[in-house]
Amino acid sequence: MRASKAERLADEELMPLIGEKNPDAFEVFYDRHGGVAFSLAYRILGERGAAEDVTQEAFISIWRSGARYDAARGSVRTWMLGIVRNRAIDALRSKSGKAPKLDFDDDSILESRSAPERTESEALERETAQEVRGALGELPGEQSKVITLAYFGGFSHSEIAGMLDVPLGTVKGRMRLGLEKIRRELAEGLT
Amino acid sequence: MSEDRHEPQRDELAAYLLDALEPGETAQLERHLAGCEACRTELEWMRPAVQVLPESVQQVEPSAHLRERLMEQVRSGVGEQRAGWNLRRPGGGLSLRPLAALAAVVLVLAAVVGYAIGGGSDESSVKGGMTTALAGNPPGVTAKMVSNGHSGVLYLKNIPHLPPEKLLQTWVERDDQIVSAGVLFIPAPNGTATATINDMRGVEAVMVTAEPFPDGSTHPTSHPIASVSIS
Repeated sequence: MRASKAERLADEELMPLIGEKNPDAFEVFYDRHGGVAFSLAYRILGERGAAEDVTQEAFISIWRSGARYDAARGSVRTWMLGIVRNRAIDALRSKSGKAPKLDFDDDSILESRSAPERTESEALERETAQEVRGALGELPGEQSKVITLAYFGGFSHSEIAGMLDVPLGTVKGRMRLGLEKIRRELAEGLT
Repeated sequence: MSEDRHEPQRDELAAYLLDALEPGETAQLERHLAGCEACRTELEWMRPAVQVLPESVQQVEPSAHLRERLMEQVRSGVGEQRAGWNLRRPGGGLSLRPLAALAAVVLVLAAVVGYAIGGGSDESSVKGGMTTALAGNPPGVTAKMVSNGHSGVLYLKNIPHLPPEKLLQTWVERDDQIVSAGVLFIPAPNGTATATINDMRGVEAVMVTAEPFPDGSTHPTSHPIASVSIS
């Protein structure tokens, strides 16, 4: 397949080709998502070299396991970013000497969800980066802090509670309030 | 947590979506979710708020070199090999498989060896070669063998950094003879790896050594980094 043809395919159509080890399909896939993948890894790790290593390992993982993508689990982009996030957090923990929390099959921890939700999420992913930044920026600092520490820092709620010297319930409550606020703003942005 | 009708455990669900629960709590919540529609509905409603978080980060361009390196790996087939998937099978009939390929499993045994590849740090194990112990004592390599019928999966953790000219190779011992299990692999960056051995019949021990990339060896050329005795 020529790359120009692969460029016209949706991510979900590229995945079976990647599963068949089609390098053109993989190249198109990387060109579409390599930037956001690297940006996420860089946000978590804070070093270009480490972020590139994680991004490379994540994409190689996808190259070898592309056939494992299950559309019922969500969009390809969400799946891919989940892989990058897990590997980056794992690298972060290894670097800091913390025991890795993830299990062996770290690429498959994303939960399944139904097709209608997937459609909505895809729209959210592509349209709302700025809205999310805005929503995060508008969150009370105590809520954005716990969300950031958990998602981008890989810290558990008990670790965060220790860091901030607040009860566990308070940490989880702030997480919930923050996510609910983001979720509501996203829903409003779609209407 | 009751599975009767109840208010969704929103705080728990938020922490779960952010991967912030402790492992035991995660397992407990997942068991609850399996039987609670109210919580599942709440979870799915809230999930997009987490899914968009990676989209919110400031976009930074990776170097062109990353793309070149990646495509070079992919086009040369090295990417597949370095990832430990569908590898060559010098022993014949053996391969690595995804972990998910296993269904029912039976735990056999675990062993720990702290031999360092490429300048590692565990002096005692370098001398001793193999030291049987329970898994879960970092920084040494931990190994766990899980059998399923005639096959088995070897799980490794805390593997030291592997030089680029090396890969890991598995060996099995039968009737006092050590032969290649035909599985070559590169550990993940976090120091973990899994390897499937298709035929475990008569195997008394499984070992892993560092061997030359990309072809491995016909016989072990280094001390094992891990060895699992099969009971």
